[in-house]
Amino acid sequence: MPELFVAMVKEEWRVHSTMFGSLSFALFPILIFWIAFMGSFLLPLMRQALPAGELSLILHANYLMLGFMVGAFGLLGSEVMNRRFGQASLLSYSARSLPLSERFIFANFVVKDTLYYFVLWVLPLALGFLLASPFIGVPVTLPLLLALTLTLSFMSGLCAVFFLSSVYSRSKPALAAILAILAVAAGALYLVTGQNPAVYYPPLNLFLAFSWTGLLISLAAIVCLFVVSIWLFSPETVGVAKHHKSMLVPLTGKLSVFPYPPLAAKDLIDMYRSGGMVGQTLFSFLIPLVVIWFFLSLLSGYLPAYGVLIEFALVTGVIASTMYTWITMFDTFGAYACLPVSVRTLIKSKITTFSVLQIIPALFIAAVSILSGQALYLVPAVVLCLSLSFYSLGITVWLTGLSPSVLVYDVKVMVTYLALTGAALLVLSAVAFAVPFAALGAVLLLIPAVFFARLGFAKWEAREQPGF
Amino acid sequence: MTKNVIEAEALTKVYGDLTAVNHVSLSVEKGALYGLLGPNGSGKSTMIKMLTGQIRPTAGSATVLGIDTQSDPVGVRERVGIIPEQETPPSFLTATEYLQFVGAIRKVPDIDEKAVWWFDFLDFSDKKDVLCKDLSRGTRQKLMFVQAFIHKPGLALIDEPLINFDPIMQHVVKDYLRDYVKAGNTIFISTHILEIAEEICSGFAILHKGNLLHTGTVADLTADHRHLDEFFLSLVQRVPHA
Repeated sequence: MPELFVAMVKEEWRVHSTMFGSLSFALFPILIFWIAFMGSFLLPLMRQALPAGELSLILHANYLMLGFMVGAFGLLGSEVMNRRFGQASLLSYSARSLPLSERFIFANFVVKDTLYYFVLWVLPLALGFLLASPFIGVPVTLPLLLALTLTLSFMSGLCAVFFLSSVYSRSKPALAAILAILAVAAGALYLVTGQNPAVYYPPLNLFLAFSWTGLLISLAAIVCLFVVSIWLFSPETVGVAKHHKSMLVPLTGKLSVFPYPPLAAKDLIDMYRSGGMVGQTLFSFLIPLVVIWFFLSLLSGYLPAYGVLIEFALVTGVIASTMYTWITMFDTFGAYACLPVSVRTLIKSKITTFSVLQIIPALFIAAVSILSGQALYLVPAVVLCLSLSFYSLGITVWLTGLSPSVLVYDVKVMVTYLALTGAALLVLSAVAFAVPFAALGAVLLLIPAVFFARLGFAKWEAREQPGF
Repeated sequence: MTKNVIEAEALTKVYGDLTAVNHVSLSVEKGALYGLLGPNGSGKSTMIKMLTGQIRPTAGSATVLGIDTQSDPVGVRERVGIIPEQETPPSFLTATEYLQFVGAIRKVPDIDEKAVWWFDFLDFSDKKDVLCKDLSRGTRQKLMFVQAFIHKPGLALIDEPLINFDPIMQHVVKDYLRDYVKAGNTIFISTHILEIAEEICSGFAILHKGNLLHTGTVADLTADHRHLDEFFLSLVQRVPHA
């Protein structure tokens, strides 16, 4: 039924172009192409610091992450869309009104996402690299191979998150068991071979040494995850509406030391009851960071002993700042328009909720510091992570207000964000690599963080907020 | 002299090529149950959004309870009750929690007791602990109705408040609105259901394609032996299609 597939692609485009503006969104692949094209000329320089294998590893890890994030968003259900676009319904939820099975729609959804994000992310990168390849002495087959393996990497992330969430919807203990088995298997592999398990990642292996067997293994892994996901897929059933004990008043009391406790309590309840507290923490934070940890560990040979922890704290800081997206996705300002709440107040309340959530990255980095034998650097690593997270939040608030998802595809916004965050990352990396305890100075980032947030309050208060 | 609680002066809202509201001026007296009438897409909801400071007018100005809607929109929303165009109680709060949330923001004392009264009055006590996302459309509409009146505002601006109610609930709510106005409060109601407007409204304005076609009172129509629906159609059909 190609009509459904075509309609889903159109729908995806319209969702994005409505959120980010048609022109900004259309320019996004061009930006990726340009970055790839220009970046390719830096490859000979970069190779002096890092071998080509490590560069491709980082690239494949990024596309794996992208797959994770796209998959996680696709699974958030109709609620997010309803809050963003009013009583809207996506085709993914059309089994109730059309004679189509949930599984058939789900299969179309996966194929659509793969093709859509291939055109949006993979193709421009491969084309940029392809066009630059004659000038940098790279055979033209390499960009083509990269397009293939990055697609496989993206699909691996997508299917892995579908698989894990399908298991999660059936049985939470089963998911915990699978994650535990994976952790034990990775540990065993490391003990037996002495190698980081990330080097066995099939798309990466395929890129480093193409073989038809490797291609078949990569495809088989993806198909297996996909088939099992569809098999386990359990559409949401409408049953008797559950009754819930009131959480708002006790939670508001507990948050009374923070500003805007009822608003922050509502956000936390939204996250908890939507499954976001567990789901987002797991799929958008912990799993991607564990994957990144494996990949970053491969760089340990090129960095000082504490270097991986420092890099990891910085990456975690940037990812922790995306928690702002978690707490803004459930409503628009329209939901508060009948109440005496200003845009400034609402953003401040979201920052309160964000601050409460920062306990997650703080604990995570503390645990990583201890487990990696770098407990000495626990405090600088946590300070580095949280300072960068709040700094990135300040920029996000300034650039996007209550719609941080704009960050991903609005070219102008994204470039500004990357430039400001990248500058801080570079300076902090350099300082912290030279003197790890100098990372404590990262708290100074709170000054520009507050400055950017204040700019954001004034900017977004003056603008008309979209309702439904 | 009767004080006007709403004063709109040449209010205009333009979205790209579309003029949603075109130089509309009107005033509403304290104690009125005033109907803003018009077909779908006539600009009624846009008017309510501008009057409650949810959106800014492209041109013109308005005061509500003496407060300028552009310079102090939060001040306006503090003093009035609003039912927005679409029901929007937060998905993951229960009905009780939503009212507690509204109560905390509006600083309403004894919110739990008040909520219990409203659950009984609108007959949805059995749903008070159900998440808003699992409520029926009608029950969500009841909840939005309650949040607009739970702080007993002197003025309520309500957009199609009866549209999802069954006939029994419509009757209950219409009686409530009449009594509310009798107690000295004002209601500004937007609707396209003319029978309801004729039944409960004292004054009315007719909006069509963003233009104000008429303002008047139901009593004047009745004196002329005319019905609101016939009068409305005669006005609206005179306007050429865009």
